[in-house]
Amino acid sequence: MSQVQTQVTMEQVANMVVLTAGDNVGIAVRDIAANETARATEGGGIAAIEAIPQGHKIALAPVAAGDAIIRFSVPVGIATAAIPTGALVHIHNVRSRYLDNVEDHYE
Amino acid sequence: MSEARDVIRPGARLRADPGAMRGYVRADGRKGIRNFVVVAYLVECAHHVARKIAAPFEEQGVQLIGFPGCYPSAYGHDMLEALCTHPNVGAVLLVSLGCEEFRRSALRDAIAASGRPVRLMVIQEEGGTASTVAAGRAFVAAELRAAAAAPTTPLTFGDLVIGTKCGGSDGLSGVTANPAVGAAFDRLVDAGATLMFEETCELIGCEEHIAGRAATPELGAEIIAAVKKADRYYRDLGHGSFGGGNIKHGLSTIEEKSLGAYAKSGSRTISGLLKPGVRAPHPGLYLLDTVNDGPVRYGIPNINDNQTVTEMVASGAQMIVFTTGAGSVVGQAIAPVIKVVSNSRVFQRLADDMDINAGTIADGAETIADVGERILGRVIETASGTPTRSEALGHQEFVLTYKTYEPLGPACLPI
Repeated sequence: MSQVQTQVTMEQVANMVVLTAGDNVGIAVRDIAANETARATEGGGIAAIEAIPQGHKIALAPVAAGDAIIRFSVPVGIATAAIPTGALVHIHNVRSRYLDNVEDHYE
Repeated sequence: MSEARDVIRPGARLRADPGAMRGYVRADGRKGIRNFVVVAYLVECAHHVARKIAAPFEEQGVQLIGFPGCYPSAYGHDMLEALCTHPNVGAVLLVSLGCEEFRRSALRDAIAASGRPVRLMVIQEEGGTASTVAAGRAFVAAELRAAAAAPTTPLTFGDLVIGTKCGGSDGLSGVTANPAVGAAFDRLVDAGATLMFEETCELIGCEEHIAGRAATPELGAEIIAAVKKADRYYRDLGHGSFGGGNIKHGLSTIEEKSLGAYAKSGSRTISGLLKPGVRAPHPGLYLLDTVNDGPVRYGIPNINDNQTVTEMVASGAQMIVFTTGAGSVVGQAIAPVIKVVSNSRVFQRLADDMDINAGTIADGAETIADVGERILGRVIETASGTPTRSEALGHQEFVLTYKTYEPLGPACLPI
């Protein structure tokens, strides 16, 4: 395979999965850099406004504080702040509906 | 019946041959995929002697297990009985100090009644450490020779009992490894095997969806109650099954972690709710409730991943499919552990410890179904006698501590 073909392939390969249509977050399947396009398997992309490490979530649309984070059609947390499209969605802007156990949040 | 449902055949994606699966028939009709000699200590004070007995035979199929407590425990007793009469176990040496409260004669008699060779050694009556070690090693050496000569018989999928567990999950576990295990579990349920998933504390947030898959509405209500019990228990404890490793790898909440863990169970009907030591009455998919009944007692119910693995084995699992993101390396004393890692980065770093790389899904190289077939292939190979990576590396993790369970409710096993 030539170098040119490899580059074309890499650009087309998805770097994000959206588990169910309608989810408001996607999951990075490899590290996505700030300003890189997060691209889903089904096509379509949004610009990451900050780095999204592999396995982390990116907002696909603006999420208001208090709104549910929806992954695989299931609420997996509540936004604690307004989250703009393309931002990292994680413990700094999401809380559990169940357990907080903040004492566990060590390295 | 199970033969007629054995729909899995070697093909383009499945390279393993189910016809190669062989096991050891026990007096109760169950079949083991291994023929281990177990050395079990009945109190921590006998642990050292038991370890000394087992040590020279560590690479030869001798497994060390035990219960550390001195105070009586119905749970500890029932678990050790279930484990010592497990189909993967061919013979048992019990090592007692002598003054602990464990009902050692009752355990010995139950093992003998199961048709297994068993010897009970009491250190205080054998003349101390050195003489107990010498006599114990003689028993183990003789039983190992017998175990090696034991005949085997072909296995079908209907003979298999398989548990699944995750440890050190990351943000890809719920996207790659766990759905791939779910795909393999769907195939195995369809083929007539018995499957179980567990850890109700890691299903918090998914309870309504799980209940919707229950064989009856009453079972669904029992499942919801079991998950709510876990939520309440951990709230009272001020602690949860969600930690720094999960956060570092992208999981934000316990319910997000739960969603990923839940994917291991696949999509088939849930036939029942089990408690540790209770075996599934028929093939199918079961949920194992691994949280104490009653108020908070004895501290954290599952102090690490190995305790619930022990409980699945006590409920009859002959092997465990274990998924990890950060890279857990554990095995288990009585049941071989197949490890599936969620990402290629950790697979490359810990390749020696991992059986299956599900990171190929994130890499775009394979589908969830492809990896599910590879997991199925490894299950078949493991049931054919091929050591898993953790077996080859000599892993024998085992944890058993105090717990309290009440009997199952009437709706838990509807079929």
